[in-house]
Amino acid sequence: MTTNVTKQDVGPESGLSMRNVIHKAGISVALLGLIIFFSVFTEHFLTPNNITNILTQITINLVLAVGVTFVILIGGIDLSVGSVMAFAAVVAGKAMTLPDIGTFEAIAIAAFAAVIAGTICGFMNGVVSAYWGLPSFIITLGMLNIARGAALHVSNAQTIYSFPAAFNAFGSAMVFGVPLVFVVALCLVFLAWFVLTKTVFGRLLYGIGNNEEAVRLAGHPVFWYKVAAFTICGLTAGVAAIVYMARLNIASPIAGIGFELNAIAAVIIGGTSLSGGRGSVIGTLLGAFIIGVLANGLILLGLNDFMRQMITGVVIIIAVILDYYRAKYAAK
Amino acid sequence: MAATQSFEQAANSNLAADEILHVDNLRKHFGGVKALDGVSFSLRRGEVHALVGENGAGKSTLIKILSGVFPYDSGTVTLDGAPYRPASPRDAKAHGVQVVHQEFNLLNHLSVAENISIEAMPKTRFGLLDSAEMNRRARAALDAIGLRDVDVRSSVQKLGIAYRQLVEIARALQSESRILILDEPTATLTERETERLFDIVGKIKSKGVTVVFVSHHLEEVFGICDRVTVFRSGETIATENIADTKPQDVVRHMVGRELAAEMEQAENHKVGDVALSLRNFRVAQSPHAEGVSLDIRYGEIVGIAGLVGAGRTELLRGIFGAEPIVSGTIERDGVAVQFSGPRDAIASGISFVTEDRKDEGLILDMPIAANVSLASMKRVSTNGFLRPANERKLAEEAGANLRLKYGKITDPVASLSGGNQQKVVLAKWLIRNPKVLILDEPTRGVDVGAKAEIYAILKRLAQDGVALLVVSSEMPELMTLADRVVVLANHQIRGELPRAEFSQEKILKLAYGQENQGGKR
Repeated sequence: MTTNVTKQDVGPESGLSMRNVIHKAGISVALLGLIIFFSVFTEHFLTPNNITNILTQITINLVLAVGVTFVILIGGIDLSVGSVMAFAAVVAGKAMTLPDIGTFEAIAIAAFAAVIAGTICGFMNGVVSAYWGLPSFIITLGMLNIARGAALHVSNAQTIYSFPAAFNAFGSAMVFGVPLVFVVALCLVFLAWFVLTKTVFGRLLYGIGNNEEAVRLAGHPVFWYKVAAFTICGLTAGVAAIVYMARLNIASPIAGIGFELNAIAAVIIGGTSLSGGRGSVIGTLLGAFIIGVLANGLILLGLNDFMRQMITGVVIIIAVILDYYRAKYAAK
Repeated sequence: MAATQSFEQAANSNLAADEILHVDNLRKHFGGVKALDGVSFSLRRGEVHALVGENGAGKSTLIKILSGVFPYDSGTVTLDGAPYRPASPRDAKAHGVQVVHQEFNLLNHLSVAENISIEAMPKTRFGLLDSAEMNRRARAALDAIGLRDVDVRSSVQKLGIAYRQLVEIARALQSESRILILDEPTATLTERETERLFDIVGKIKSKGVTVVFVSHHLEEVFGICDRVTVFRSGETIATENIADTKPQDVVRHMVGRELAAEMEQAENHKVGDVALSLRNFRVAQSPHAEGVSLDIRYGEIVGIAGLVGAGRTELLRGIFGAEPIVSGTIERDGVAVQFSGPRDAIASGISFVTEDRKDEGLILDMPIAANVSLASMKRVSTNGFLRPANERKLAEEAGANLRLKYGKITDPVASLSGGNQQKVVLAKWLIRNPKVLILDEPTRGVDVGAKAEIYAILKRLAQDGVALLVVSSEMPELMTLADRVVVLANHQIRGELPRAEFSQEKILKLAYGQENQGGKR
């Protein structure tokens, strides 16, 4: 049996990525189409200011969606990221406004607190749903309420503000016209891409999404891998909390309501299958862009927020229909 | 297009002619792939006609065309003298062509009666469901095929897999049927259940219904069929009268090479020390406190026979740590071990080729290479980072050893035929150089050629000193492979036969021996 494996045949997952490439091309084309459309039909779409705007606007969703990608890839779902983000923000806000600590310490402690708070919530989601084999839909719906309640409780339902100027500067800093927070989000995307495609851990997450039992019978601790996916998702919600605080200079216990749906939408539009095992974080990046460009462009077109919401809904449905056909062709 | 009006005329005018269906030079392409490339054969009224061929030879496509799932590209199909081109499965049914698929189409939580009437639920005058009528119809349908012992009100879920199949047949036959197609009906049945099915096939046949029987088991084909048509690469190679042919000839048609030569292996190999020892080993499902006690030696192939539900799969899963163990001990090389999960079992040199490669064995969407390396991630990574080149090389070598046929090693494993998929599962475990290899139905859904190759591989492993434990529902398979056969019934060992005493009859007697005693199934 001789086989010719050509050099350009990258990675053992090229069977997956071939499809992904086709799909990514698909949504790239859709994104490009949107950009061209809005450039032609609106005056300000392609101005540097507006581009900066879009990048700033999609950052939080992108950070959340990166985490949600991990969970959806293993066939789960996380509905709690919006609330967890609010909880992490409130905890971090409390930490940052502690009396009698230096600026740098305050920021460091707050960032650490946000990430830890998010990570703990994600870990809980993972342990409970994986240990009892319960649908993560329900468990994270519970966490959605727990985290929101905790956020309100910790903050006494008050918005926390007056953060150090250095921290606020991070939220509005620019690198060559690109918001620093977006650069952070991009780094996160790259890191996630690397983990998912280049490590044993990532490989097995895909495996679990496809066929959990096969992975288990191959001797891998599936439970911990699932917990890890949820934990990563919680962690990114913590990171999103930091970005949110830096941008708005407040920590509100009612922040992030409904953010989970936008994050899930970005993942799905990006071609990750809701049933798990198929998709990529690069798709998620493009999905977040599509949502952001659509929102921005439709407002520039003069459509109101309600119309915008309806159109975003239609796009989500189209994305799922496309996924149906992709799965169908893949099966042939 | 569908010539429904000719239903009665055709039935009348063709009473004399015994040909009910005639297929001539049928072709079907999917994109560039030729699924059917010149299929010609005919069915006679009231015959049992076997379709055989390796996986991918075109049998499934033909069935799907006849049952209205796909249209055909060219060629002619004549049903009872009229052109036949079903537009949909419903249309095919209206023409009296019924299919019982390999995958069951039953609604598990509904009752048997509801399932049987699902296509046309009887209604009362007020438009409500008429359960009495529904149950009566279901009773009649089941009685018609001799299933008097099934309660039509019980839920399908509670029935064994064999009964589910029979319920499907009853459902198919309930409406007017001229041709009943059974797509690998015995794949999940035990010997006795198969016999029951064959009785029913006999009954159906005596009513003048033509039965098309798709099977990988030649002994079944030769047991109940009148004629056989052999498929290879989308073409029909030959149609023969069963009475005038031999299994070897059919196999030669199927694979173009002799099966016997492939399987000829030196039988005498040395049997070494005890590799795996079970004492009073009991899984949660077992009702017997004494459990199972069994020794497997290096260089030995131990077969496990038994009916479905005898506890064979549970035993294997228990050994592998995939099923909780209630009591008893396992010893590896004479040392007591406790496996808290498959991970521990693998670490002690045990590998497990599972029964269902699609549900438990393979990650279908993933490349062949990724499936081969799944249980050996350490060999294809450093510090958790994948080494794709190493992985491809490992998989290619393993593939070459097993004569795996594939396009590229990075193709998804779903693109392979059943036999080659099974070889990927084998490769996954063989690259670990297991000391003990346990296999559950190692050749289910695998074509004859690949079957022979898998037998040869397993025998070679035994010669190299591996201890093998094989569960199989196919008696000839066990008799070909095993050095001794242990018969399991109701989670207990009922007996053991050395190679010299192998016979289907003896194995069956042991398997059924306690049947009335352990009566709940």
